[in-house]
Amino acid sequence: MPPTASSIIAALEGATKAYGAHRVLDGFDFALEAGSVTALLGPNGAGKSTVAGLLTGRLRADSGRVSLFGLEPSDRLARARMGIMLQSGGLPETLTVAEAIDLHAGYFARRLPTAAVLEQAGLTALATRRCDRLSGGEARKVQFALAICGAPDLLVLDEPTTGFDPEARRTMWDVVRAKADTGAAVLLATHHMDEAEALADRIVVIADGRILADGPPAAIKAQVAATAIRLRTRLPADHFRALPGVVKVESVGADLSLLTTAPRASLEAAFAIDPALQHFEVTGASLEDALANLVHANRTTLKEAA
Amino acid sequence: MMSALIAPAPSVYARESWAEIIKSARMPQFIIPTIALPPAFYALFALAMGQGSAEVATRTLATFGVFAVMGPALFGFGANIAVERENGQLELKRLSPMPAGAQIVAKLAATTVFSMVSFAMLYALGQAGGVALGAGQWAMLVTVHTLAILPFALIGLGIGYRLGQKGAVAVANIVFLAMAVLGGLWMPIAVLPEVMQAFAWALPSYHLGEIALMAVGQREAANLWLHAGPLALITLAAALFAWTGERQQAR
Repeated sequence: MPPTASSIIAALEGATKAYGAHRVLDGFDFALEAGSVTALLGPNGAGKSTVAGLLTGRLRADSGRVSLFGLEPSDRLARARMGIMLQSGGLPETLTVAEAIDLHAGYFARRLPTAAVLEQAGLTALATRRCDRLSGGEARKVQFALAICGAPDLLVLDEPTTGFDPEARRTMWDVVRAKADTGAAVLLATHHMDEAEALADRIVVIADGRILADGPPAAIKAQVAATAIRLRTRLPADHFRALPGVVKVESVGADLSLLTTAPRASLEAAFAIDPALQHFEVTGASLEDALANLVHANRTTLKEAA
Repeated sequence: MMSALIAPAPSVYARESWAEIIKSARMPQFIIPTIALPPAFYALFALAMGQGSAEVATRTLATFGVFAVMGPALFGFGANIAVERENGQLELKRLSPMPAGAQIVAKLAATTVFSMVSFAMLYALGQAGGVALGAGQWAMLVTVHTLAILPFALIGLGIGYRLGQKGAVAVANIVFLAMAVLGGLWMPIAVLPEVMQAFAWALPSYHLGEIALMAVGQREAANLWLHAGPLALITLAAALFAWTGERQQAR
């Protein structure tokens, strides 16, 4: 469902960004809606961080239009409504967790009380700990706390749960979900499929600076009717790469896993090259498989066009 | 609308300044040497080696007050900004609604506070060593020493915006020593070879030292513009150096 004009929080229109001769984005269109979690998915170097950087004003577009709450991203009134968790964010080493949060929250007139931020980020027990004495995961929680402390209408999270244990991840997902449910727009740049699947209302798959797919998680999975075939063979994996329909071959323990768009043709061909084939299992592809397939198909099309 | 979203600037400036002061105060390994080095050197150079001469104690106090701001200003700004820039803290603040100047004002406030501690120790040592100045002379001396913070802080800022942490510390050290020695803060530039003396005119430390000497009646005050003019130009150049460094941050 295309976002309606009134609910658009942030948008890129025809945005182009190049580093030297390398064009990361070329005429990129993208909009974020209030009350929804949008996950940006894609391989490394796909342009995820560039999209997030342009929307937040961290990067400047070479051309095209960027708007944040209808303003320039550099406008302080726009920044006052945004909370950001950068991929690498340092903390003031000698301040305590509570002091660091309180200082940052003080930039926002609509700030949350420090105690509430500590609680939501799961940091209450660490409030008086100095920031230079935190583990990696604890420091990420403080960065998350800095992102939410200003009660933002737009929350931008770049790989937020790196270094988290499963329980801490769940807790953060719940808080993010609650923010979206109370009207915030959330942009989540990640390469964890489970994170996108658990959290996002909408997944935007990008690779090489282009949007390959855009829709709810279920639709992304369905868009590529990919099937995974698991089988046991004595032949090396290389023999299976050229089979009809196969886009990816992986070793999984003693088995091989083939990702295919044409399961029947792939299976017939597999039996043809190894009649002793056994132990096979056919399943619907996971979101991760669907993504790999999308990116692969896109690269192939580009090569053929070139 | 403005006030509904953005916190009032004076409160942000005050809180940021306070945070900056406690951040440094909690790093005693950094702040104690920075503050204590100038008074310690003063006790050695002027008081112990000056053999009780009130004139040496007064002359040296004037130039050591300038020396005392260089540590907090060059290292507090240069190395600190480099660290905060490298680890992303600066970027997060830049993307927040924090007023752009708050960071700089806060660091200036911290530098001023720590310089003041150093001044107080120096002045106490000076008085013990026989420095006798009128109230007006003290007031002028404190003013010159406090104003000295600005050019050095701007230079430190320009270094911190351009270099990584290690590079910034290394360059700040070189600048620190060159300013002290070639600027005649430890001993008059007359003792240096003539070629090296010429450098002094390009250094803010030299002009500030000369103006401080005027404040305590050791130089002709009629020559004020001879030093205030070049100092103003150098400060302007330092401001440009810092500002262009800051501009480089937005990509």
